[in-house]
Amino acid sequence: MTGLRALVRKELAVLFGAPMAYLTLAFVALVTALLFFDHLRVYNQILFVYTSNQTGGFELGTVPERVNLQDQVFLPLMEQLTVTLIGIIPLVTMRFFAEERARGTDEWLLTSRLSPGAIVAGKFLACFLFVALLLAVSLVYPATSILRSGLGGPHLAVVYAGLLGLGLALAAIGLACSAFASSQLMAAVSAYAVAFLFYDFGWMSPFVSDATGRFLAALSFHERFAGFAEGVVAAADVAYFAGVVAVSAAAARLGLDLARVR
Amino acid sequence: MASGVAEHERRTGNSGARVEARGLTRRFGPTLALDDLTLAIEPGETFALLGANGAGKTTFIRLVTGFLVPSAGEVRVDGHSPTREPAAVHGRLGYVMETTRLHPELRVRGFLRFAGGVHGMRGRTLERAVDAAIERFALGPVAERLIGNLSKGTAQRVSLAQAFLHDPPLLIADEPTSGLDPAQQADVREVLRGLRGQRTLILCTHQLEEARTLASRVGVLRRGRLEALGTPEDVLGEGEPLHLFRAAGGAP
Repeated sequence: MTGLRALVRKELAVLFGAPMAYLTLAFVALVTALLFFDHLRVYNQILFVYTSNQTGGFELGTVPERVNLQDQVFLPLMEQLTVTLIGIIPLVTMRFFAEERARGTDEWLLTSRLSPGAIVAGKFLACFLFVALLLAVSLVYPATSILRSGLGGPHLAVVYAGLLGLGLALAAIGLACSAFASSQLMAAVSAYAVAFLFYDFGWMSPFVSDATGRFLAALSFHERFAGFAEGVVAAADVAYFAGVVAVSAAAARLGLDLARVR
Repeated sequence: MASGVAEHERRTGNSGARVEARGLTRRFGPTLALDDLTLAIEPGETFALLGANGAGKTTFIRLVTGFLVPSAGEVRVDGHSPTREPAAVHGRLGYVMETTRLHPELRVRGFLRFAGGVHGMRGRTLERAVDAAIERFALGPVAERLIGNLSKGTAQRVSLAQAFLHDPPLLIADEPTSGLDPAQQADVREVLRGLRGQRTLILCTHQLEEARTLASRVGVLRRGRLEALGTPEDVLGEGEPLHLFRAAGGAP
């Protein structure tokens, strides 16, 4: 446990010892702010149109149910955040194993008292903490508005739980790719390929049978996140994201073991 | 908790660890990097492994540390297999790496804390060990500096400090004076000389002078085979026995 804690601390120190971590956090904050205010602008325009019509003779209370902050601003923002995470997380995860291998520091780590399992766990944990921080940064604007408006708190919490599950799954895939890759570039490219493949299998449905299409849809991040976006926490969705993390961790461990026998 | 020399001596009666290789072989694809090596390094011995680039020195070290798995044969440290009982071996092991294998973005004290942490040290024990290592290797003035900004000689002292931190009975040093200026080489050799009889030291080097002055025994590898084994006087004699390094080949 002491060794694991030391490794997590070191990973975070290395992560924050380079500009990439700060740039990533700043980028997410910027993108979230721009998207948030853009959705807010559109929402205000829609509201203005309805209000104008009301003044033009419509009865009061004709603003549709769906024209609210939650449906017009928060949920579209969360949906777009999933794509942002796919774009960002492989850039963070690519260095975790591949950089150690390139520098030769992996040899020292693998000959320390830490087991390969503990090394994988330490790196996953450090990366997961960073992903959680990324999401916390993205939460600033929505949370401020929620607090001010008193709208949709529990729903937003569920959506964020889904985003966290997706973020951890993406991080786990990125780490597994980094454990096998010969360079950081290869780690990032392979993580992008896997992440985009799994994001939405819907494009394959015209080419396969209905049953296969449903099966592939069930493997899609997009499909699994949809439940959370609607405010529903389904055990199957939670198990799916946990399964992706577990399989990726096992793959990363395999990557470390294979390096010793190659 | 790390098993220090005192604890090791209490358990085994020896201050150093015993390393034994039997029929040790490692292939990289079709290339035979280490060929049927049989060798015993006794507790407290300083053993220098010589050979040209690609002779199999680093492969031997990596098999002892468990970083590589043997293709055939076996190696044991105090009777423990590095591949089957890695925790038992790694707890006895201090590894002096090349300076390029340190984390340049960490500060010296932070790196030593990390090194002690992965060896199971924590709290006051860890802080005391880090302070002692900083003092022993004269790292005080650079303790808060980034490793990436250190000179090669100072970085090598950091590498030595991390290897000593948990007081291991077996030290492995892979070309510890490579790239250092003569004064820095002398400093590192002085530290290694002080280990005689206290710990087992496996030293991989190209420097004949280093082997002569530090080692109690010398082994020479050529194309993965142990060509010569004996005292430095017997194996190296006088002068520069360059024939030991010629006609070498094989994988790194």
